[in-house]
Amino acid sequence: MAHKQLRFLGVVAAAMILTMACGGSSGGPPAKTFKIGLVTDIGGLNDKSFNHLADVGLEKAKTDFKVQGDVKESKSGDDYVPNLTDFATKKYDLVIGVGFLMQEAVGTVSGQFPDIHFAIIDGAGTDAKGVDLKHPNVQSLYFKEQDAGAMVGVMAGWMEKNGKAKKNKHVIGAVGGISIPPVNHYIAGYKWAAKMEDPSVNVLVGYSNNFTDPAKCKGVAKSQVDANADILFQVAGGCGLGVLQQAGQSGVYSIGVDADQKDADPSVIASALKKVDVATYTAIKNVVNNQFQAGALTFSIANEGAGYSVDNFTVPPELQAELDKVLGQIKSGALTPPADIPA
Amino acid sequence: MPFGSVVFAFAVGALIVGATGANPFSAYAGLLCGGLGIGCTQGENPALEISNTIVFAIPLITTGVAVALPFRAGLFNIGAEGQLLVGSMACTAIGIKFNTLPSPILLPMVLLGGMAAGAVWAGIPGVLKATVGAHEVVTTIMLNYIAQWLLRFLIIGGPLQLGPGTSKSLPIGEGAHLATVLPVDNALIIFGLPASVYRVHTGLLIALAAAALFAFLLWRTSFGYEIRAVGQSQKAARYAGVSVRRTIILTMLIAGAFSGLAGAVQIAGVDHNLTDKYFTDTTGFDAIAVALLGLGSAVGIVLAAVLFGALHAGGAIMQSDAGISSNLVLVLQALILFSIAANFVGAIRRGLPLGRAPAALPPELPPAAGLMSEATAPPPEPT
Repeated sequence: MAHKQLRFLGVVAAAMILTMACGGSSGGPPAKTFKIGLVTDIGGLNDKSFNHLADVGLEKAKTDFKVQGDVKESKSGDDYVPNLTDFATKKYDLVIGVGFLMQEAVGTVSGQFPDIHFAIIDGAGTDAKGVDLKHPNVQSLYFKEQDAGAMVGVMAGWMEKNGKAKKNKHVIGAVGGISIPPVNHYIAGYKWAAKMEDPSVNVLVGYSNNFTDPAKCKGVAKSQVDANADILFQVAGGCGLGVLQQAGQSGVYSIGVDADQKDADPSVIASALKKVDVATYTAIKNVVNNQFQAGALTFSIANEGAGYSVDNFTVPPELQAELDKVLGQIKSGALTPPADIPA
Repeated sequence: MPFGSVVFAFAVGALIVGATGANPFSAYAGLLCGGLGIGCTQGENPALEISNTIVFAIPLITTGVAVALPFRAGLFNIGAEGQLLVGSMACTAIGIKFNTLPSPILLPMVLLGGMAAGAVWAGIPGVLKATVGAHEVVTTIMLNYIAQWLLRFLIIGGPLQLGPGTSKSLPIGEGAHLATVLPVDNALIIFGLPASVYRVHTGLLIALAAAALFAFLLWRTSFGYEIRAVGQSQKAARYAGVSVRRTIILTMLIAGAFSGLAGAVQIAGVDHNLTDKYFTDTTGFDAIAVALLGLGSAVGIVLAAVLFGALHAGGAIMQSDAGISSNLVLVLQALILFSIAANFVGAIRRGLPLGRAPAALPPELPPAAGLMSEATAPPPEPT
């Protein structure tokens, strides 16, 4: 009997605490649960890159705000429109499309549902010709890739200048997928910062014309290694994994891109980061705070939306000091990495 | 359709869902809602779900026919995907080149162009099979790769590319568009949604006509008889005076035309341009499953295509509603095929001493049955 009474008391106490907690925190009407829909591109949630990071941002928002987050993985390009449409018909507060592959789909569906807010990573809502439709319910989440490129460029340039690389012939390389703006932004920041650290450095830039086939990037990487490059920056997505592998086989260093790629190959000393998780989280936060804005929202070092990670490498204190200095200068606006590849 | 195999697959699928700690009933409720618009509880629009399923089923019907017809002749057409791709490429190229022509001229042009391209793509393995005995499985698979890389070339740096840095083509002319069943109008509200969200297009009629034509050709024409004769036994067909070579080549040409038509209809009816999504398109491979599941009959193929379309459309709803990975749908598709291939249901039925009469067989052997013996036969001798 005594036990039962005690347990009853305990339940009552717990209930009272709960009631008090609720009463204390919310003064007005019960807060609305925001419904957020995330549509991945064909990479799926386990792509270790954009889609995965977007989901990380959504999960963080779920813990911080009153948010119901649902995910649809697109199995093929045919799924983009139905997946976006489904969230829109269910009146979600924000529908997020991950990646520029979804531009046209976002353009179509956002036109059909002018009352629903959309956000798209690395793209805009476009028509069939790729022209931004500028729908007032679409937010584009862009990145200053040159900021992230500059940080790994500082690292590469500093190592060449101070003889910490493998060959120290003052030659480094960058392998791009296709010569398109996001790729060239990365390379621009990389080359600019490397030259700033080591004016005598020669930066080789090559393109594989491919984003998926590692063999193609391996070939470009091999030719750069043969030309004495000993730090290779990959800017070619899945194709670029070949760059990291080639660097490992040739005994030189490599730098990953977009997400932290330290697990891709032991040769990876750093990664230039596009913080898609920060972008996703910010877009959700804006909707929750009723601050949704159409048009472009750009993420950079200044708003913690771009950066770098140090991977299978121990950074000397002098290099760390240099990295921190440049990061601070870019953040404050004292330094501005260029968007176009410098000569 | 081998319903037993489907039931078996869903039963095993339920066990798999259960084993992962999720609720199989909510998974299948999500599939049912997303696929057929039945029993939706979370604000889905049933009309939209049905529309999506039909859009997915349309190319599966036409390519399913393109796989089933050669099956009947004892040929394994693994190349429906490549034939679909060249069909879509031809349709797009014509639709861009002549984009100012009016619809009554341009639409037949793009559809016939797609059929011709597909026919050529399937005709190559057909001729090789009939003349030098090159195995059509190998040649059609290789031609798939060639089609895929040709597509890459065309829209990345090639003549159809929209602009630098893009991986899609220019849009085809308005005149090449297949009409949608409902008007493309964001302002017109039908079933509570803008009419433009319902993407069902008149390609449905083309696909159904293709299935009907397939049945007619196979069962009501002498050529269809020749196809079946060759499929049963090339030697016997030859004794009966059928030209095995001619039958093989013509069968592949017709099958390719069906696949090419599927690609052209997809461009003209849904996409209106070639995009990088075709790099990873699997319609032509799913078509093999559709043809097997449909037991090579027109009605069966249509039903199987609708089933696969519903699985495709339902997977995403299942994921967002029940929180179960849409990959389960791929598991279900594989299980269905697996149980057809292994013929579990038949084996169980035969193994049970119930004294029941065996299930009615289809008019002829299931297409896959005769394959292994005939497909490995030496090349036909000159007739």
